[in-house]
Amino acid sequence: MHSRALSVSPAPAVAVRATDIVKRYGGVTALNGVSLTVTEGEVFGIIGPNGAGKSTLFDILCGITKPTSGAIEVLGRDVGHMAPHAVARTGVARTFQRTAVFADATVFENLRYGRHASFRHGVLGRIVGSSSCRADEQAFQERAREVLALTGLDGDRDRRAGVLAYGVQRRLAVGVALMADPKILFLDEPAAGMNGRETADFIALIRAVAPGRTILIVEHDMAVIRELCGRALVVVDGRPVVIDEPQHVLRHPEVITAYLGADDE
Amino acid sequence: MQPSSTSAAVLAAEPARDGVPAPAMRPGPTSLSIWLLLGAAIAAIAAFGFAVSDPFIVTLAGYTCAFALFALSINIMLGGIGEVPLGQCVFFGIGAYGVGIGMVKLGLPFELSVAAALVISVAAAAALGALTLRLTGAYFSIVSWGLSGVAMVAATNLESLTGGPLGLFGFSALSVGPVLLTDPQSYFFVTASLLVAAVLFLVAVRRSPFGAAMESVRQNRHLAQSVGVDVTRVRLKAFMLSAPLAALGGALCVPYTQIVTPEVFSVANTVDGLLMVLLGGSQLIVGPVIGAVIFSIIPHFLELDPNVRILIFSSAIIAIMMFAPGGLHQLAVALRQRLRRDGHA
Repeated sequence: MHSRALSVSPAPAVAVRATDIVKRYGGVTALNGVSLTVTEGEVFGIIGPNGAGKSTLFDILCGITKPTSGAIEVLGRDVGHMAPHAVARTGVARTFQRTAVFADATVFENLRYGRHASFRHGVLGRIVGSSSCRADEQAFQERAREVLALTGLDGDRDRRAGVLAYGVQRRLAVGVALMADPKILFLDEPAAGMNGRETADFIALIRAVAPGRTILIVEHDMAVIRELCGRALVVVDGRPVVIDEPQHVLRHPEVITAYLGADDE
Repeated sequence: MQPSSTSAAVLAAEPARDGVPAPAMRPGPTSLSIWLLLGAAIAAIAAFGFAVSDPFIVTLAGYTCAFALFALSINIMLGGIGEVPLGQCVFFGIGAYGVGIGMVKLGLPFELSVAAALVISVAAAAALGALTLRLTGAYFSIVSWGLSGVAMVAATNLESLTGGPLGLFGFSALSVGPVLLTDPQSYFFVTASLLVAAVLFLVAVRRSPFGAAMESVRQNRHLAQSVGVDVTRVRLKAFMLSAPLAALGGALCVPYTQIVTPEVFSVANTVDGLLMVLLGGSQLIVGPVIGAVIFSIIPHFLELDPNVRILIFSSAIIAIMMFAPGGLHQLAVALRQRLRRDGHA
């Protein structure tokens, strides 16, 4: 099946494909038949009112939550039954809405923790200073310098992450995710709680890291979706409503109804 | 402050105030300062061992080093992955009974008994960890505490193997090669050397990717998972690393106690070790060693009644949790910073 798909499809490679995802928690259906295909290099938004199932969908797409039924393919691999850390090692990174950073560690240590999957040496290698230990360390230092520059965190290198301003923590969260040089970046409500200035900085950061990557964003802030995303999916009550360009999506009658709550009884 | 909280004790042990810098935030010591500290430690050990003539004090110092190994083991769990391992005395007891059963029942030499106990402790940690480390926080603590109770009941009732409530005693030659552990000075040098070796090993662990993974799991397990850390595996490996250290501590206490009874499985042993960790600071690798020294030397010089000792240490722990949640060394760090600030002013 795999080889056939390769031989007949001249279309751009698929980064994330979800087919008919259903998720039930006991008697509650959180997601009911969501399908989407995100091609490589796309910046894709997922929007919807509170409780619509965005976060559940997001957790399923990046392998943390397992769906009740349906298939998820990330970078050509079926991740439906893979452990979350194993999914992360296929080139997928994510940020969290809350608990976004390692709060007790310095900015630089945060980046080191983010590099975990790329380290090859063990405790013995560390003791004897093996060649793989030195190579790992050198590669880490180089990557950390790039990421510090990219995220504008050079001056905060040795500060404890927990005391940084909120917007700065968010940039660090992206920095941690970038340490593994992921092919796909999932951002969970990155602009929630940010002020206008912080949001603008954040949009600029994501624009800078987007080339060569696929990015999926769950977001309430429509400005972020409009600025960054080529397409967006609207989820309402666990159902997919529409997938389209942001300006069209935001004019969709059901989206307006869902957001303004016109039908509330 | 930390949403993925583990337990009240751990939260309290973490330096959470913004004003006081977390010990974990300071960059790790350089290799040079580690060698200097190592030299100082060796000099101090040699000076103490040769200069102090009171055999009781020297033996107590040896015992303190042995118990400090146990405290280090506890801190792999507490300072390492943020769990309070109340049942860690199981491995302490495996070490002690390893020596007891190996020497008294099987007639093995001390070294071989200890080696067997270490292997058994790792295997036990693998089995127990696979079952109990799915739990976190208070749930893990309580279940591991329960396991220590099971171990104590087993030790009390398996009389043919453990000697029952009376325990095992009458050891022949407690020696490591030609070094007789019943000689106070030799006992101290052996336990102190092993303690230094253990600390050096833990320094290497902390600076390795595995150490970084443990720290990331302690601070934010969900984020750690999302950067590719196999959280379950890291926790199990930490447990399996902590077990032989506890067993070594338990085994090296036998030359001091000269008897192994079911009491080695008492959770009171773990609590003593935990107090040492909290006294010295869970985020400092030698914190548990500092705590062990304070914990055993001070009561001796104050000639405290055991009950009064509990009262004083309990009060001390409360005071430390309130004023220096990172351990006593945090006071020194804060003092140094204040002096420096005043110097600039």
